[in-house]
Amino acid sequence: MPGDPARQGIRDPRLTKETIEAIRVRFGLDKPVFNCIDSLNPVRIGSCTVNPLDTQFFIYVKNLFKGDLGVSYYYNRPVSDVLGERLWNTILLIGVGQILAIVIGVILGVLAAWKARSAIDYGALLTSLLAWSLPVFWLGIILVFWGSNHGFPIGGKATPGISSYPFFTQVGDLVWHLLLPTFTYTVIFMGEYTLLMRSSLLDVLAEDYILTAKAKGLSTFQILKDHALKNGMLPIVTLIAINLGYTVAGVIQIESVFSWPGLGGALFEAVSRRDFPILQGGFLLIAVSVIIANFIADLTYSYLDPRVQTE
Amino acid sequence: MGPQTAELKVSVASTSPFSDFWQTFSRNRMAVAGLVMLATIITLAVFASVLAPYDPKSSVGITSSDIYNPPSSAHWLGTDDAGRDILSSFLFGARVSLIVGFFAAFISVIIGGTIGVVAGFYGGRTENLLMRFTDLMLVIPDLPLIVVIVALTKPSLINIIIIIGVFGWTTTARIVRSQTLAVKSRKFVLRARAIGAGNVHIIMKHILPLVMPLLVVNAILVISLAILNESTLSFLGLGDPTATSWGQMLNFAFVRGAMSAGAWWALVMPGVGIAWVVFGLTLFGQGLEQVLNPRLESHHLSPGRPSVQSDAVVESATVKKKSKKRKDAPLLLDVRNLSVNYISHDNVVAKAVHNVSLQLHEGELVGLVGESGCGKTTLMLALMRLLPATGQIANGHINFRGKDITTLNEDELQKLRWSGISIIFQGAMNALNPVRTVGDQIKEAIIRHMPAYAPGILEDRVIELLDLVGISKDYKDQYPHQYSGGMRQRAMIAMALSCDPDVIIADEPTTALDVMIQAQILELLDDLRKKLGLAIIFVTHDLGVVAEMCDSVLVMYGGVTAEYADVDTIYNAARHPYTQELLKSFPDLSQPEKRLISIPGYPPKLDELPEGCRFAPRCPLAFERCTKEMPILHELEDGYHIASCHLVEGG
Repeated sequence: MPGDPARQGIRDPRLTKETIEAIRVRFGLDKPVFNCIDSLNPVRIGSCTVNPLDTQFFIYVKNLFKGDLGVSYYYNRPVSDVLGERLWNTILLIGVGQILAIVIGVILGVLAAWKARSAIDYGALLTSLLAWSLPVFWLGIILVFWGSNHGFPIGGKATPGISSYPFFTQVGDLVWHLLLPTFTYTVIFMGEYTLLMRSSLLDVLAEDYILTAKAKGLSTFQILKDHALKNGMLPIVTLIAINLGYTVAGVIQIESVFSWPGLGGALFEAVSRRDFPILQGGFLLIAVSVIIANFIADLTYSYLDPRVQTE
Repeated sequence: MGPQTAELKVSVASTSPFSDFWQTFSRNRMAVAGLVMLATIITLAVFASVLAPYDPKSSVGITSSDIYNPPSSAHWLGTDDAGRDILSSFLFGARVSLIVGFFAAFISVIIGGTIGVVAGFYGGRTENLLMRFTDLMLVIPDLPLIVVIVALTKPSLINIIIIIGVFGWTTTARIVRSQTLAVKSRKFVLRARAIGAGNVHIIMKHILPLVMPLLVVNAILVISLAILNESTLSFLGLGDPTATSWGQMLNFAFVRGAMSAGAWWALVMPGVGIAWVVFGLTLFGQGLEQVLNPRLESHHLSPGRPSVQSDAVVESATVKKKSKKRKDAPLLLDVRNLSVNYISHDNVVAKAVHNVSLQLHEGELVGLVGESGCGKTTLMLALMRLLPATGQIANGHINFRGKDITTLNEDELQKLRWSGISIIFQGAMNALNPVRTVGDQIKEAIIRHMPAYAPGILEDRVIELLDLVGISKDYKDQYPHQYSGGMRQRAMIAMALSCDPDVIIADEPTTALDVMIQAQILELLDDLRKKLGLAIIFVTHDLGVVAEMCDSVLVMYGGVTAEYADVDTIYNAARHPYTQELLKSFPDLSQPEKRLISIPGYPPKLDELPEGCRFAPRCPLAFERCTKEMPILHELEDGYHIASCHLVEGG
């Protein structure tokens, strides 16, 4: 498999050597990757005496501080522009899907734990284990197949030409397109939240303070709401943050199946196009999001559990 | 002893745990279902070349009429975009999925297991470094990285196995590390170290066997993740082009127009295969975990068993007259012939409380005395109908405020709890909710039972209650962990007082507190009783406290009443040998030279009760009749004093 991104990106036999060289200069590919390394794929050892400030790596980092993520080989546009417009589509998909998955997962988990060892419990347990076992892309395919026979769009974010319609029709069209991808996302991630909430709540409900709450004459609903839920949610908060990384995996599959113009699809396309600036930018974005998510999770955790603040 | 005999011993000893394990395992329906699902698919994969009707790669000599043919007798599952038989591809696809899953998981488990054991065992800087690395790897989204790396290398099956394996070890490392940490400080490991065993020896012989069960459960999860990852890679077109896999079949079908051709058969089957394997693994793993790490069958919100009345007439004396000290006080709580059973899921009945009667008058303090496991707490929980799901009131009545508590429904019970009878649990650290302020938890009870309180007065009431037990109002909005042990217990008392109950049950309220705090708490309870006219049932081991504070005493042994009388009678004229023995084991300041004697043996197990008197096996005065016939309660001293012992028969 040829590895030079310049050649992979511009496979036009009519280009002269001079033009290719000019393109390499434009993308900064004429510089060594780092001291002693000229190229990573294939690995080529180069001179170690180059000025470290004049390497691809250092220039990338320097530009990063200026908010410049480089230029996409494929689109020939700034990476931040390409990823920026796709990021919002992904946030929309993840946001709605994640909230639905958490809400439904927590409710199912609470029900299962409360009615432990009943038909409800086993039903919720088996449903979430099955949901967890389904390959994301396959569920998507089946839904696209089913949806295409039932009037759902087969992919994309908007019906072509919708922009000339009134605003509310456009929003309706967006929701219509969002429905099946979100449903896929929700089903896949719901199972894990249900399982965790169930097992966390089973522990909480066996605690002494639940017996105290019961002895105080509180109703079952009050006990669940005021004494069990907050404590039982603690592991979920951690999982949500950790899951963000896994979310990307799900998003790549969902966006590929539903042709949703988001970040996951962009990353996947960038792999086959050897569009490294997009890949770097994408991974950077994911890393930053994961760090932010963990930070928010820590804050939420200390809000939910007062013991964390003083310890 | 030679090495051979030692080995023999080990193998003999290990057969029994395995058959135990197998018995529990075969009863777990989830685990068995998962195992059957896996066995099916493994069989199909192994015999793929025999079972498959066609060569999965042969598409020579096809015409356009062979493409996307629906299921028929020639092609049970139809044909795909190149006219190949889908059933055959499906069978060979199972091989790829399973091979990638098992081998990749093997790599992951080896890496993760090694990192986990080394980090957990060696600790210190090694652990710090390894676990930071693991945390870093955990938050890195592995699939996108796998996609990139596979795309940049040769997509052979071996490469895919190695790459998936190398990125899938983080959960294993974390689980193995925490298990190693737990095992490391066990006695036999410390002993092995003390006799000079090397680290490698300790890890292999002592730590690994105990980490293994968890590792197996985790490995099953890792296998299923690896299978999902492989199928995703193949679906994205990054699989080994020479190996027919389920993901690849879906990729071809999806990309090459199965959707528009309406060829559902090309889309459904490969996905069913993946889901089948992964669901089978998940069920097996969950079931296995339940077997290895069994949880409680129920919790505090599980529905309880309804009370029943046994038809058998209980032929026993009960106290007929009021205690001497409380002659004029009205009767508040009248417990008659109460029995409580615990019934396990395989219907083994444990008679935790049998035929106990108790009277509580206004302002009276009854001491409930007995060793641990004598049914004291069960009796108290039964009074408030707070028994766990396995507990059942098997006979008797609890009359309170003109009603029989044993027959109340859930609504009536909720109204009665705390406003009628409240309870101070032992160990207030766990009895208070750690994530809510103490003031909030007191307020909640008042709002529930006294809705008339306006919010402003409510705050004042909480402050007043805290003040009553000697807690400054500054602590009102603090959390339980910010309180000291004694303060928590006092907060619990304030909470128990919050709804003006008639009866307070204090279930060993001072265990786990130091002596000074114990004295404070007890004094406080006694004060409040005098000030507020409360009736208290005081559960304790401490006969000194009983002598000092109580009006009457109920001595329980093995779930039955041993003796019940006024406190003076108990201390001066105890008739039951158990009471007498208990008194011998408790120091008396007036007779400092007295030798303290503890009672040898332990109270009976409730599911293996002796046939005759429950105390007979430990009783110094037992004679033949005691081991054969259970004594009934006998009335002594015209109704004040009862005892269940053959020796006191006839007064």
